Amino acid sequence: MLPEARLVPFAGSDCRPLDGVRVLDMTTAVAGPVATTLLGALGAEVLRIETPWGKPRHPSSALPLQVEGPDEPWNREPRQNELAHSKRSVALNLTMDDGRAVFLDLVERSDVVLENYSPRVMGNFGLEWDVLSGRNPQIIHVSMPAFGKSGPWRDRISYGPGIDAMSGMSWLTGYVDGSPLKPGNFYCDQNAGLTAALSTVGALMARARVGGQTVELAMLEGELQLIGEAMVGQQLSGREPTRMGNEHSSAAPHGVYPAAPVLGDADSWIAMACRDDAEWDGLLSVWCDDVVAGDGRFSTGLRRWRHRGILDEMLAEWTASLDPIELAERLQAAGVPASAVMGARTLLRDEQVLARGSVGGLMHPQVGLSPAPQAAFRLSLTPAPPKHAAPLFAADTVPVMREILGYSEERIAALLASGAASDRLQER
Amino acid sequence: MRVVELSETPAGAYCGRLLAGFGAAVTMVEGACGSAVRRQGPFREDVPDIEGGATHLHLNRRKGSIRLNLESAAGRRLLEGILSEADALVVDVPRRRWNDLGIDPSGVGARHPGLQVCTITPYGTAGPKSEWVGSELTLYAAGGYLRIGGEPDREPVKAWGEQGHIQAGLQAALGIVSALYADRGGQQIDTAIFEAVAFLLGGGYQHAWFRDREPKRNGARLVGFGPGHLYPSTIRPCLDGWVHAHCNNRYPEAMAVLFEEPRLAEEELVGSLMGRADEVDELMAPMLMRTARREIVKQAQELRIPFTEVLAPSEVMADADGHHASRDFWQTTAHPRGGDYLAPGPAVRFGRTAWVDGVAPRLGADNAHLGSAQDRVRWRRAGVA
Repeated sequence: MLPEARLVPFAGSDCRPLDGVRVLDMTTAVAGPVATTLLGALGAEVLRIETPWGKPRHPSSALPLQVEGPDEPWNREPRQNELAHSKRSVALNLTMDDGRAVFLDLVERSDVVLENYSPRVMGNFGLEWDVLSGRNPQIIHVSMPAFGKSGPWRDRISYGPGIDAMSGMSWLTGYVDGSPLKPGNFYCDQNAGLTAALSTVGALMARARVGGQTVELAMLEGELQLIGEAMVGQQLSGREPTRMGNEHSSAAPHGVYPAAPVLGDADSWIAMACRDDAEWDGLLSVWCDDVVAGDGRFSTGLRRWRHRGILDEMLAEWTASLDPIELAERLQAAGVPASAVMGARTLLRDEQVLARGSVGGLMHPQVGLSPAPQAAFRLSLTPAPPKHAAPLFAADTVPVMREILGYSEERIAALLASGAASDRLQER
Repeated sequence: MRVVELSETPAGAYCGRLLAGFGAAVTMVEGACGSAVRRQGPFREDVPDIEGGATHLHLNRRKGSIRLNLESAAGRRLLEGILSEADALVVDVPRRRWNDLGIDPSGVGARHPGLQVCTITPYGTAGPKSEWVGSELTLYAAGGYLRIGGEPDREPVKAWGEQGHIQAGLQAALGIVSALYADRGGQQIDTAIFEAVAFLLGGGYQHAWFRDREPKRNGARLVGFGPGHLYPSTIRPCLDGWVHAHCNNRYPEAMAVLFEEPRLAEEELVGSLMGRADEVDELMAPMLMRTARREIVKQAQELRIPFTEVLAPSEVMADADGHHASRDFWQTTAHPRGGDYLAPGPAVRFGRTAWVDGVAPRLGADNAHLGSAQDRVRWRRAGVA
């Protein structure tokens, strides 16, 4: 029986690796925001530069209002909660000269500009590298175009799943007997976001030696790293790599098997892998089936692999009525790699997730405690869990102009009046 | 920056590859048989070869290799000497062997106070599952990402390759450079593979916490969006293969032009595209099945609709449009047994600090730099190095 879902608020940290670093976040969609949430958790002050009219006023996905206050559904989007935590929100109209001037004043006082527009957009804003570095030679400009800033595909547009297709990842992913599939919802984006965060910290480290620089992460080239062995392998063997499903090239059993419902959900499975005789013996010690144990077809690793179809059928018959979480515990005790096929609901109840704080809570002013996963590493001296929940839209426009830029109250009022800056969501 | 890598999986190997690309001097310390990564095929002409496995030739480029017997006290002393000059240590060998190899992170950290000690383990070093064992498949299941892959009426299916391990390696690299940038002395960097997978679920936790809802896998379609969401974002068959079909978020009516199908722009359908995905697939099918991939994508991109081709690895390498060639992406790399192969180039391009690549090292290629010639003879005879 699983416990109730729990969210433990993240502990704060008074010493994060990127304390003192300021990032101007001009990102959209998924890949760029993943990068900047990571940088925010690592300690950077991330100023999310938003278009004053940039949110749907009535998103169908808005979460319920949990506290007394104004009804602002654009501040309660799950996607916003997920991808804007650990940031501040500043609304500027970059198509206006005055809005652009505010942005360039911020460039002077920042360390990083990070964007994931298609290559022509920064030029359209008049914010190319020459302009940025002219204002601040120490600035690092990270861009994350889909296909790169040069080449025949430079101006093609794509989201992450389209790049999965162009990299070979989709072609390779799927059932042995099936068609190409996505490798996940936004896998290419998540990978690009992490790689961009890594590259940003790398450029910050190099800055003492070389000053500011551009960093270009083509999402396609970032993803090609993940399947490089397929590209090298097909040259060595002369064969196209194939879709493998959940199979292993030489080990069996190695698959996903049906299990009894968990949390009332019949879509319930257990994954297990026996890579050698010791793990197979461990499985037999839990399975306790004399017929299987005595079956000559399964007496060696090679025989098990050759007869993996029938072995999988027999395993599935055994596991179908068993609780996958309990079965995984028994198999692990016998030394067999196994896990229930977890989901977000079960992970929020998982003892290891709770112990490590893999997913924790951030207090949002309108929806209450909100979940966020943290990065997969723990730093012993400079812990870096997510800092705070997603900001309310444009909540930091005025404080940033006042505190970071030192603008007078008159100038701030004029910028708000002209629409070059905004402290609230505007009608387009 | 000097990095020592004790790695037997793609997790540590990819961490090292990224750091090597950034310019670090990365040295693999390997046992007598070499890292298990060397034994992952395919191999040339299918002949197993620890110098010529595809994963080794991809992930271990521009690294050094020192072959040491860490089960001997003399071997462990040599490792201590190597670590005394290093900035970071990456370890992904199983925990149960740490003490025998002299690489228990707290002990190493105490002996080398300035060293960043990064461990990559299935479930991390603390917590009730920290002793659990894992494989790529089971850790993909444990992190929740397996569940959203595949057809709704079949078992979940994982992404190709060892993406859980690769993502853990990427996260570990981020942890190491962050610790180095923090400049607070040596840190323990405890990386968990299952958690690198769980990180990928992103918005899934929002649905689970606020609505007690589990996003259901959806074939090639996006997962977790309501019936009012835009569609397509899916993979569809066409005349000569498959295309990734994606609706332009701003101008869904352009789809009607591309497919010469006015129904695709009708308000009543545009308001519920995801909920009527089967109907949208049917409306797209006639044009897709009479048109080749390249032509479909060309027409779509002219309308600023983000369609792309589904390419096989050989087609990616063939680079029909010359895009990769124009960016000098594929790197001609010397194979240790002679001849060349093409390997992926930079993951990222820095304006002033170039990404660097090289060849994958022979096992023990850098033993020649250890001690004196006399020492090396002695160590070889004693089975130490």
